[in-house]
Amino acid sequence: MLDWSIITHYFPFLAKAAIITLEISVISLVLGLAFGLVSALFVLSTNPLLYWPARFYVWIVRSTPLLVQLFIIYFGLPQFGIDLNPFWAGVLGLALNTGAYNAETIRGGILAVAKGQGEAARSLGMSKALTMRRIILPQAMRLIIPPLGNNFIILIKDTSLVSTITLVELTLTAQRLIGSTYKPFEMYLMAAVLYAIMTTCAALLLRQVERRTTWGHA
Amino acid sequence: MAEEPMIRLHNLKKSFGKLEVLKGINLEVARSEVLVLIGPSGSGKSTLLRCVNNLESPTGGEVTVDGERINRTDLSARAFQKHINRVRTHMGMVFQHFNLFPHKTVLENLLEAPTQVLGRNRKEVMADALELLDKVGLKEKRDSYPVQLSGGQQQRVAIARALAMKPSVMLFDEVTSALDPELVGEVLRVMEGLAVEGMTMIVVTHEMGFAERVANRVVFMAEGLIVEEGVPKEIFSNPREERTKLFLADVLK
Repeated sequence: MLDWSIITHYFPFLAKAAIITLEISVISLVLGLAFGLVSALFVLSTNPLLYWPARFYVWIVRSTPLLVQLFIIYFGLPQFGIDLNPFWAGVLGLALNTGAYNAETIRGGILAVAKGQGEAARSLGMSKALTMRRIILPQAMRLIIPPLGNNFIILIKDTSLVSTITLVELTLTAQRLIGSTYKPFEMYLMAAVLYAIMTTCAALLLRQVERRTTWGHA
Repeated sequence: MAEEPMIRLHNLKKSFGKLEVLKGINLEVARSEVLVLIGPSGSGKSTLLRCVNNLESPTGGEVTVDGERINRTDLSARAFQKHINRVRTHMGMVFQHFNLFPHKTVLENLLEAPTQVLGRNRKEVMADALELLDKVGLKEKRDSYPVQLSGGQQQRVAIARALAMKPSVMLFDEVTSALDPELVGEVLRVMEGLAVEGMTMIVVTHEMGFAERVANRVVFMAEGLIVEEGVPKEIFSNPREERTKLFLADVLK
């Protein structure tokens, strides 16, 4: 049977830890978007000095596990004098990871915008950069938002992995409370519920953003 | 002495890989002239048009518009981009598939380039834009999005969008080919109005009636070369070349 007294007593602790998880998620999301956009533009560039580093970044991130990436940043980098605290090591790892996936999503969206759009803009004298910013990207956004939302939700869930580099977020808090209460089911259940609340809110929020890009479509 | 032509193509060549699409075109278009380009598909007429504003960069020859060389080869990549962006502001282009910006309203479509490229004052451009929309008969659609318009309406907006830059040349690339037959007339009427006002125009089209009525000169192309050119009456009723006769027999049938 569920021990409800445990749940009511410890829920506030876990809710507080969930706020840390939310912080990590939001900061990683913003950085990951920036990494993704820049890498996508680099990969689409004809300049090999931009193309190859971006391609390498996307490849290395997508072909290795996030857990190993986090270990390299947190446990490995101090060897080279780069000693990040768990919070920023976690944020950096997650942002780099989600950024690579975002890059592929954004690149696909840009390529899916009709070729005639760029031609029409260029024929009016718009520069390449202006065309990208004012004409292509806004249209790509419409295509990108749903899969990008997917990446965001994966990111929120992936934050649980930073518990392994001693960052006391939701999952690690639950583990520690199990150590003193011996109630793993209740603790992990609460953690799961809190993750579900966060991911569901993110999904609902994204649906609102999606609604704003209908441009006259029903 | 004859006036300097508005558009001058000298030995224009364009290849896509091994495929030579334009094999040395010499053509001049005078100020206020309406030149209609006809020919079978694959003859290179669209490519020719796209070489004028460098949407396709020629592989050889010279393109000159209003006395200025378009396909300059003496510039660095960066300087060429600046040059081409500037010269394009004087040339309007209208496409087969309209290519209106779907995320912008009709009015915003017209305001985009004059404000963003020329840096003109939004209020001032707005007055011009509304006048242009009135001219193409779509003032009441100013706040609609392109998807809410018919093809004919979209194409008229696309013409107005190009005109908002106050170009001295207009290029029309099969602008009625994607339209339902009953919508073709409204677009052609707008183009006819422009011709009457003295706009220099190159029109690639399959609308022979339009060519006969509006063109000052008709050019027939086949396989990357100009086969025959002349006033519409001459070309349509008394073509000299066998290929022109065959083509016209096919399309006028």
